[in-house]
Amino acid sequence: MLANYKLMTKYNDVIDITEQVKEAVAKSGVQEGTCVVYNPHSTAGVTAFSPWDPDGFIDLKEEICRLVPTRIDFKHQHDTPQDAAGHIKSALVGVSLSLIVHEGKLLLGGSHHIYFLEFDGPRKREFFVKVQAD
Amino acid sequence: MGKYENPMSRQVYSLPQLIRDQYEDLEPKTRTVLSFQEIFNIQRIILTGCGDSYAAGMATKHAFEMLTGIPVEVVPAIELSRFYCEKHLGVDCQNPLVIAVSNSGGVARVSEAVQRARLHGCLVLGVTGNLESPLARHSHKVLKLDIPAFESAPGTRSYMVCVMALLLLAIRFGEVRGKYTMDYAMDMRYDVKNQGDLLEKLLPEMDAVCEKTAEEWKEFPCYDFVGSGFDYATAWFGQAKILEATGKFAMHINAEEWFHLNFFARQADEIGTVVVGNTTSPGFSRTKELVHYARELGRPMVVITDGGAEDFGEETTYIRVPSPKYPVCMPLTHFAPVCLLAGYISVLIGEKYGRGCEGPWAFAEGGAGVKNSEIIVR
Repeated sequence: MLANYKLMTKYNDVIDITEQVKEAVAKSGVQEGTCVVYNPHSTAGVTAFSPWDPDGFIDLKEEICRLVPTRIDFKHQHDTPQDAAGHIKSALVGVSLSLIVHEGKLLLGGSHHIYFLEFDGPRKREFFVKVQAD
Repeated sequence: MGKYENPMSRQVYSLPQLIRDQYEDLEPKTRTVLSFQEIFNIQRIILTGCGDSYAAGMATKHAFEMLTGIPVEVVPAIELSRFYCEKHLGVDCQNPLVIAVSNSGGVARVSEAVQRARLHGCLVLGVTGNLESPLARHSHKVLKLDIPAFESAPGTRSYMVCVMALLLLAIRFGEVRGKYTMDYAMDMRYDVKNQGDLLEKLLPEMDAVCEKTAEEWKEFPCYDFVGSGFDYATAWFGQAKILEATGKFAMHINAEEWFHLNFFARQADEIGTVVVGNTTSPGFSRTKELVHYARELGRPMVVITDGGAEDFGEETTYIRVPSPKYPVCMPLTHFAPVCLLAGYISVLIGEKYGRGCEGPWAFAEGGAGVKNSEIIVR
């Protein structure tokens, strides 16, 4: 089963998509299997992260920007510096997440939520959730 | 096209397709002509040129400022080459950026201006159709125009392409400097391209009004073109086309200065008055007042606008021009009626464009009057 969800992001946004992924798993009816969350954009990423301290998101954004600052000396100059940096961030963070489905539910650690990371924005975005039985 | 069809009107009718084609040519070029580093380095911009190219600078100055936040001056080539303060050239590492426009690239004063700007440390971007030209040779970077050949007439197609090139540069600068998102920039670019379709729909009605106006105005001794903001560029361009196509006197003035000067002119009923007034202009209220008093004076008048009588509250002749999603795109098409009008008056009075470069005008053959001039670079 494949589900598609639309998002409207803000600049360098972090969006919790855990509930949408859980919903897709529930609708699939799969009891034991795998779930893949996929972001088809080249300037966005998907990751699992702790939701408990809001300052953690600030750390996440700042550390990613510290690793890949928006500079003006990128070789990729077709779009914008923000876009060029976004491509690198996306490649480093990854565009998909593989998760386990167990007893009809998403197997997530207590400190794990699933996040869509916007490295540009504001933009219209989407992501896919594929659920497969063993 | 109607009974007075001529090379200028044929150029106007070619504009919709030209807009669509030139967008495809210029969109990628304006992305790559300057690097991120060069775009981020810009602290001031000077737009320079002569004639229609100077008007193209005036038509896009506000777009540059609105989209990039960078201060922009439109400086006539002779002011830049002979008078502009040297202390203000080459400051803060290659500033200001000088964007010099000339499709032929052979205009002496523009060549002189870019040589001086370069000598004193400015970054020079030439916008030209000729890579072998003096303008191209003296520029650090060149945005190459490729305007398909067409039968000769006072600049109509070339003006639109110069305006589009500058507008796409402005959009690009704002995009790279993070003034708006890439999606927003693309939406503006699509609006640039869409002006071809909008103009195509309005051309028949626009043409009919221009034809009738030309018939009524053909014997007038002079014409008055008024506008403010980027509408002034269209007004300026209109007076240039009247001079080139008909050889008659024409004036250009902004909507405020008109109340200080041009309204004093006698024989008001023989002054063909063309008001350019888009409804989104910050100067629109003054333009409305102008239309009212020009009517009271008995001025024969047409108003070039994206609006109509409902916006101006006056009964007069309106020439409807496209209403883009982004007002900065207006200069791409709002000049079309002035070309139709000038071309039709030229036909009706049997006047050759540029006096045919015959008799005392022979010295200007092949543009010699603007190409052959002593170059002084200091």
